[in-house]
Amino acid sequence: MKSKQLLLLAVLLAVPLMGWGQATQSAATTTQKGLPDIMSLLLFIAGALLFIVAMVYVVKVNQFLYKRVVSLEAQKSGVALTDEAAEAVAVQGDDFWTRMRRKYWEDAVPIEREGEITMHHAYDGIRELDNRLPPWWVNMFILTIVWSVGYMWYYHWGGNGPSQAEEYEKSMEKAKKERAIALAGRADAVDESNVTVLTDASALGEGELIYKNVCAACHGQQGEGTVGPNFTDEYWIHGGGIKNIFRVIKYGVPEKGMISWQSQLKPADMQKVASYILTMQGTNPPNPKAPQGEIWKEETEQKAVE
Amino acid sequence: MSNVQQFQYDNKIVRAFGMASFIFGVVGMLVGLIIALQLIYPSLNLGPYLTFGRLRPLHTNAVIFAFVGNGIFMGVYYSLQRLLKARMWSDTLSWIHFWGWQIIIACAAVTLPMGFTTSGEYSELIWPLDILITLIWVVFGVNMFGTILTRRENHLYVAIWFYIATWVTVAVLHIVRSLELPVTWTLSYPVFSGVQEALVQWWYGHNAVAFFLTTPYLGMMYYFLPKAANRPVYSYKLSIIHFWALIFIYIWAGPHHLLYSSMPDWVQSLGTVFSIMLIAPSWGGMLNGLLTLRGAWDRVRQDPVLKFMVVAVTAYGMATFEGPMLSIKTVNAISHFTDWTIAHVHVGALGWNGFLTFGALYWLWPRMYRTQLYSTNLANTHFWLGTLGIVIYAVPLYWAGWTQALMWKEFTPEGTLAWGNFLDTVTQIMPMYMMRAVGGTLFFVSVLIGVYNLFKTAQQGTFLANEPAEAPAREKLLAPATGQYWHRWIEGRPMQMLLWSTVLIAIGGIVQIIPMVFIENQVPKISTVQPYTPLELTGRDIYIKEGCVGCHSQMIRPFRSETERYGEYSKSGEYIYDRPFLWGSKRTGPDLMREGGRYPDSWHYNHMIDPTSMSPGSIMPAYPHLAEQPLDLSDLPAKITALRKLGTPYPRDFEKYAVGNAQEQAQKVARNLAAEGVKDKGIENTEMVAIIAYLQRLGTDIKAQPQADK
Repeated sequence: MKSKQLLLLAVLLAVPLMGWGQATQSAATTTQKGLPDIMSLLLFIAGALLFIVAMVYVVKVNQFLYKRVVSLEAQKSGVALTDEAAEAVAVQGDDFWTRMRRKYWEDAVPIEREGEITMHHAYDGIRELDNRLPPWWVNMFILTIVWSVGYMWYYHWGGNGPSQAEEYEKSMEKAKKERAIALAGRADAVDESNVTVLTDASALGEGELIYKNVCAACHGQQGEGTVGPNFTDEYWIHGGGIKNIFRVIKYGVPEKGMISWQSQLKPADMQKVASYILTMQGTNPPNPKAPQGEIWKEETEQKAVE
Repeated sequence: MSNVQQFQYDNKIVRAFGMASFIFGVVGMLVGLIIALQLIYPSLNLGPYLTFGRLRPLHTNAVIFAFVGNGIFMGVYYSLQRLLKARMWSDTLSWIHFWGWQIIIACAAVTLPMGFTTSGEYSELIWPLDILITLIWVVFGVNMFGTILTRRENHLYVAIWFYIATWVTVAVLHIVRSLELPVTWTLSYPVFSGVQEALVQWWYGHNAVAFFLTTPYLGMMYYFLPKAANRPVYSYKLSIIHFWALIFIYIWAGPHHLLYSSMPDWVQSLGTVFSIMLIAPSWGGMLNGLLTLRGAWDRVRQDPVLKFMVVAVTAYGMATFEGPMLSIKTVNAISHFTDWTIAHVHVGALGWNGFLTFGALYWLWPRMYRTQLYSTNLANTHFWLGTLGIVIYAVPLYWAGWTQALMWKEFTPEGTLAWGNFLDTVTQIMPMYMMRAVGGTLFFVSVLIGVYNLFKTAQQGTFLANEPAEAPAREKLLAPATGQYWHRWIEGRPMQMLLWSTVLIAIGGIVQIIPMVFIENQVPKISTVQPYTPLELTGRDIYIKEGCVGCHSQMIRPFRSETERYGEYSKSGEYIYDRPFLWGSKRTGPDLMREGGRYPDSWHYNHMIDPTSMSPGSIMPAYPHLAEQPLDLSDLPAKITALRKLGTPYPRDFEKYAVGNAQEQAQKVARNLAAEGVKDKGIENTEMVAIIAYLQRLGTDIKAQPQADK
């Protein structure tokens, strides 16, 4: 049955579509396995709706066949037919599939017979035929309306669909948990309380790369300072030393224009770039920015730590 | 047939609109090509007048209102006369309409590069032009209804239903969208602010697509396609159902431009479901077009006119399926703010509008010039080159949109943004931008070929300015014979048609807009949100003038990928003093909702002088002229007074102190700049300090008390 094949096709199409939605959704939220709650609910509802429509179809097809059998019987016994029954008999000449196609899929009058359905008017020579509405088109229209009612019910009229603010809160909670899991037990899970200076060349090389990419715009290619302060002198506004530098990179100093980098740089990367910045001290680049802040001495830090 | 009357069809006006259409088509597409190249070569931004921000609205307006607009009038003036068997009601009105429309276009071509704009998409033109548009639209309506009322045909053909619905809906949309309070000749503030204005804007913007780019062109399709194919229209019933369903449902779908924004959820959901329900009514038009070609497909292979029309109708079908898909929130979360949307609209604009216009032109020109088309080969070249152009334009942009969206949303397992630097997601898609420019060039060249072909056709023929015709006078309408369609009744009554179209198109707008404007709790107040200071307001108007909104949104959606990148997601209460709203619809650059305080003043100074100094590889145009153009504060008192009238709570008599207040803040910004090492004497008297003050204010109000109003 064409209409059923169509439905099956729709279901089959819906699944990858949902899967795709889920894939992109998970790109947005996490790499978690399985459908997110909202997507599985959507899938369930879409499936339920398609199922209901399919059931309605089955019933309709049965009714049609039943009427046809009844009217054929009636015809044999010479009983007068109702219009509806006569219609069912009239398509007698066609086989089952053709009848189904006509009723539920397409029902155009063939071009050779279109004289029968040409309207009795013409506009500037344009004539109009009186073909039936394409049944699949009508069905699609109905389907979209049913879907829409279901959508409004789920999100607004009774279903428990989440608001977009609730969706957001959920995704943030989930991300927090996953982040904790991802960072648990990792060697590079450094923070401002335990960060240490890295000295190996590869780490400093990576740090330099990050510096050139994101820091140099404000602090100068060689740390000479432009918009942001100079890294090559001994003066620090928010304290020198690896821990303070790491803290400033991580949280930023928003009131002075230094943004927080923790959503863009991994802790290990912040450690590398902070270590690289420390290597700039005393390099005397051209056009240095005037010193800002206080002189910071390593001993002070050690004292503070002790 | 006793009462046969002789009359003449007016072809001259049709030719005038047709020529205007393809001339402005060439201009509009050339501007499009220029801005496509500006994205690849930022040095092509010739400031201050020819930057991307100012040229983009010129491109959209030229293509929509000049190319397609004149195309509509060409189609309507030709088909209306013949479908009604009557000359246009008044030649004078026809020519007032023609010249009035061209004057509006010429004014737009001057004012938009000058930076005079209201910043609403497709409603950028300033208030005096809004009034002129209204007047000319009324002239068009009077002329059309004059013709309809003096017709010789009893019933109205489906094309005319579409023309009527077009006329009334565009009138309603334009008037409501243009409710604004003039401040100077070139500046006005909209009556609605923030979220309300956003809703009105997209009710307007979406339905500009619906009732300017779609319904009149469907009407034209219903005339030119059966004429060119010489086949009867497939289904009269389908015409009826899809027409009424289309105009009723279309008007509701506007909020799908605002999914995941600060618009209340219920409005967004209405936008989604009505977009989905729109698939069938839209496809009704496509089906009736394509199925009309049954029995004529062999001719499609030979006749360039039919080729153009088939691709046009197919592009219409694709765009009207894709549109509803983009209205599903899960899909929109990816597509919105990316080039996916740009690809989508160009399938519609180049395919549907572009090809249908040229199909109609190729059909009309030989007939009006009483000759053959100059060259079928050239027309075929135009067709294939154009089709190829559309494909090469659209496919890379789809790819660019998907790529960028996925990059924006990608996280590392540690929970940081994989592409924390926005610029990385831009440089990634530059090759796609280059491909797009190639596709655009192909389409542009194909149009030039088309224009040449039409020119040569005109040259070899003789123009028939007044085409003689005859028809009997219209007899008084009798009661419909029994057994006739119920719909025949209204087809004989144009005023009923107008009335019921108006009722149907009004419902959706009323249900969505009225509660948003009049029910207060739709926009929860945030106590820390304050009106802009005079200098920030001045900076905001510069931001609008430069068209920054063309590339920078001010709307952080409630996604983790956006709050991590830009900060707390946007709340509707933050926009209550935004006139006009500046949410934007495309992120070629990053969102600026919470730009305030992100960088120091001097960063912005350096970035405006040369964006690549602060963001190496940036494709943003340079704005060194901001540091030179004097800061004009003369309109400030008038601006403050106007905004107070509209409800912004500036204190009493504040307009008297506004200029002083602005100068004081300008000095402060200048001092900051000097302290940060910017040595630019007199900077406090330039536009630079105003734009910096505005950018530093953006999105900072809720930070004053971050937890209080959640």
